[in-house]
Amino acid sequence: MNCEKTREYMIELIDGRLAGPAGDEVRAHLEACPACRAELGELRETLAALDRLPAPEPSPRLRERVLAAVEREKRSLHSAPTPAPLTRRRSWLFPATQALAACGLLALGFFIGTRRAPPGADLATQRELADLRSRVDSMGQLVGYSILQQQDRSSNDRLEGVLASAAVRKPGDTVINGLITSLALDPSVNVRLNALQALYAHRDKEVVRTSVLVSLPRETSPLVQLAMIDFLAATRDRGAAPALQRLSAADGIDHNVREAAQRALTQL
Amino acid sequence: MTTGSLDFPVQLRPPERRFGLSLPVDRTEPSSDHELMLAVRGGELDALGELFERHQRPLLGFLVNLTGDRTAAEDIAQTVFQRMLKYRHTYRDDGSFTAWMYHLARRCAADHYRKSSSQPAAVDPAELSEHADEGPTAPERAAHGEDREILRRALACLGPDEREVLLLSRFQELSFAQVAGVLECSVGAARVRAHRALAELRRHFLKLQKGACP
Ligand SMILES: [Zn+2]
Repeated sequence: MNCEKTREYMIELIDGRLAGPAGDEVRAHLEACPACRAELGELRETLAALDRLPAPEPSPRLRERVLAAVEREKRSLHSAPTPAPLTRRRSWLFPATQALAACGLLALGFFIGTRRAPPGADLATQRELADLRSRVDSMGQLVGYSILQQQDRSSNDRLEGVLASAAVRKPGDTVINGLITSLALDPSVNVRLNALQALYAHRDKEVVRTSVLVSLPRETSPLVQLAMIDFLAATRDRGAAPALQRLSAADGIDHNVREAAQRALTQL
Repeated sequence: MTTGSLDFPVQLRPPERRFGLSLPVDRTEPSSDHELMLAVRGGELDALGELFERHQRPLLGFLVNLTGDRTAAEDIAQTVFQRMLKYRHTYRDDGSFTAWMYHLARRCAADHYRKSSSQPAAVDPAELSEHADEGPTAPERAAHGEDREILRRALACLGPDEREVLLLSRFQELSFAQVAGVLECSVGAARVRAHRALAELRRHFLKLQKGACP
């Protein structure tokens, strides 16, 4: 270990949190190097002074404002209606999702990143829908599914629809197409998550895997992004690698999502 | 096909931490920060009050030293706790609450200065000296008061990035790997930057001690 490397470890050494082989090497170097020993003493002094800087006393107003924010959030939780089906379903969704879903938050679209744009509202959506349809079409499976019809229903009704689809014992293509469309286009995070969960049983179908892949880049909710990444990792489909790579390198992505994408890449 | 067969085989989150997690109110053992934050995530929002009580001082100290602006620091601290509420679903089962808090704090500080379009780089030493005498007992003040003031001025001479990495390195509950995580850089880079910042701080400190104004 040279002087430069030794100095990089000095803060941890001073704090007593340098263990292992690096610690041994640093200590061996210090033993032999008077210059580094001198620097260590000086830095120790400065750090001690820095640690002695008193923390200012927070004002009572800070507490008031934070607790008021907690109360506001609690009220918004309690005023949200609870979607009944979720409470009796066992779910693979992680606890945060379950908690939020049970509180009806997801159904309310409270969530950051919830898409508000109705299907067909923008060009990208239309193109994507057309793309999805053509994929489904090419397999000769497209059976009428009216998205416009969906718009008039509340998110709870749509959720019921998705859950009913999931419960179908031998789902036909209509059901699967409905789930795919819900995943790609439904404005409610809760509906999209449940559609994704229902689609997991059909992951052996290429159209299902493709639809998740196509929906991933457009997905704005970190929760659904995480669930989609889990889904793709579970399918072990190498075809998902480019989409995951793009996601792990994209700007403005939630760091949990980015990490999950990186992790998933190692699992494919 | 039963609903059970719809379950993902891959569970990122351990199954024992299911929805329904509630605050262990009648337990003698105090909950860890991590447990409290998991409770917040699960909908027990009052647990954030306890986390606030535990962390408001170190967080505010960090932000005051980072920004040199007491008012801004309180505003940013408030935003940090509000974002914990808003983004509670992103808190991870394998997360470290402290690392997450400083990750948010750093973002909030950056957002604060982006919005107000002023930079925290130029810290006004007059602003710092306002609360230079807050804190410990009178004898300690007499012994360290002057050096403390000089140190605050030296800290103000550092660039915001230098101050940030150095101040983060002072939290004993954060490993350097976690500091690196907060700063979104490699552990090696965090070490190099922290060491440089500390050496710079010492240089400024000595210069100011000799009466030279940078
Ligand atoms: Zn040396």
